[in-house]
Amino acid sequence: MIFSLELKKLKRTGYMPAFLGGAVLAAAVPLLHMLVRSETFIVLPGEPLNILYDANWQMMTMLNILTIILCACIIYHTEYSDNGAQKMAVLPVCDNHIFGGKFMITVLALSGMLLFEIIILELCALHWFSDYQVQLTDLTKNFCFSLIASLPTIILMLLIASACQNMWVSLGIGVILVFTVSVFPKENLFLSLCPFNSPYQTLALVTEKGKEYIFLVTCIAETILLGIAAHKLEHVRRYFS
Amino acid sequence: MNMIETNNLTKIYGNFTAVNGINLHIQKNRIYGFLGPNGAGKSTTMKLFLGLTQPTSGNFTIDNKTYPKERIQILKMIGCFIETPAFYGNLSGEENLEIIQKILGLPKQSVTDALELVGLTQFKKRLAKKYSLGMKQRLGLAGALLGHPPILILDEPTNGLDPVGIHEIRSLIRSLPKQFNCTVLVSSHLLSEVELMADDIGILNHGRLLFEGTMEQLKENAKANGLPTDNLEDTFLAMIDADNRKRGQVR
Ligand SMILES: Nc1ncnc2c1ncn2[C@@H]1O[C@H](COP(=O)(O)OP(=O)(O)O)[C@@H](O)[C@H]1O
Ligand SMILES: [Mg+2]
Repeated sequence: MIFSLELKKLKRTGYMPAFLGGAVLAAAVPLLHMLVRSETFIVLPGEPLNILYDANWQMMTMLNILTIILCACIIYHTEYSDNGAQKMAVLPVCDNHIFGGKFMITVLALSGMLLFEIIILELCALHWFSDYQVQLTDLTKNFCFSLIASLPTIILMLLIASACQNMWVSLGIGVILVFTVSVFPKENLFLSLCPFNSPYQTLALVTEKGKEYIFLVTCIAETILLGIAAHKLEHVRRYFS
Repeated sequence: MNMIETNNLTKIYGNFTAVNGINLHIQKNRIYGFLGPNGAGKSTTMKLFLGLTQPTSGNFTIDNKTYPKERIQILKMIGCFIETPAFYGNLSGEENLEIIQKILGLPKQSVTDALELVGLTQFKKRLAKKYSLGMKQRLGLAGALLGHPPILILDEPTNGLDPVGIHEIRSLIRSLPKQFNCTVLVSSHLLSEVELMADDIGILNHGRLLFEGTMEQLKENAKANGLPTDNLEDTFLAMIDADNRKRGQVR
């Protein structure tokens, strides 16, 4: 029930169009890349999909993360702009359920976005590389990996947006975080596990190092920890208001 | 029987005492007028009841339930409206009420009834952020009245309404205990308004409760203290003034 209510609250906020726009922009990256300089890529050695990932995933992930930031800001702006959050606080509903509902919506929206992008990558591989065949299991694995790698980012960004009543502050924090992690060395496994940095990893790269299980388990653990932090934050907020 | 009772309820913000050890007794099925000048601590007291802020010391019971242990059960019984209307600007008036209706598990009809009760039916499809101040106020009231809760907490509900609106809302509040069997706590900074609505009165100044009782008791009390009684507004002003002077001396 809370899920459908949270969905209803997003009416006319531009939340879905923002995700759609983000998905289209991110999917345009490999398409444009291939349209302009496909010759450079098709001669490279290795798996076509890996070549495409190497060439495009950084840029696409950056767009995905910016979309997550924007949408987290929108989702909490509707709560704070006309004080709707106060009304929720005096209704018999648990704050954690509201946060959980928003998390679920964001995860679902991002799933749609990632699936769309991965399909576009597959289509690029099909179109430009001869004798490439789509492997449904690989597609599913890549999708699940990227989704799980994005969970800590989603929950941390929602946490920030819920903590800052002013949308511009949370937007600013989000953008600063994006640029901070962009200077981290990408090879360092420890740093690559940070929220805002983990989505840049691809399944192929992590598997190469044999670290895929550690990576996924850590991402899920981070998500759970940040979820507990969100739960505690509600208590702190109530105490200090 | 007391629906809401407080025991030395105190709220301190930093080094400023907003509510100072008050003992309120709000009786069942009556209207309690909570009177005090701006900044007296009326809204803060109401926020304490709703768990929007934590008491620094003291406690309260609502229908014999205690906070914070039974917060959710308490909230189930209360319809409220605090300070400014709280709503979702991107939703229409009707959609705003539907959200509350779903959370409270009420039938769909309750939304229509509440809109009718506050006179918003013809504007129900308009976005709430496009409402005028008075309409936002009415929407807030509709949200509080939805499902006829046994306790209503209304913070200056007639702020921003035109004279006709003020009269309408006053008569509505006046009729609530009989119509829906509920207890009403309504705050105001105007004695004339409280006089027209309330059965019992509590007067608050600088976080302290100066008086609690019925209108008759207030008059007797004023007479005994040598305050003017022919005009109640004067009584109120004199009372606040006397208290302020006393506090000035203490300082
Ligand atoms: N969050 C807060 N932090 C600090 N002071 C506050 C806070 N909320 C209210 N106050 C102060 O408490 C006093 C009482 O406020 P309030 O209860 O809103 O008065 P009113 O009786 O007009 O509703 C005011 O002086 C106000 O400035
Ligand atoms: Mg107030």
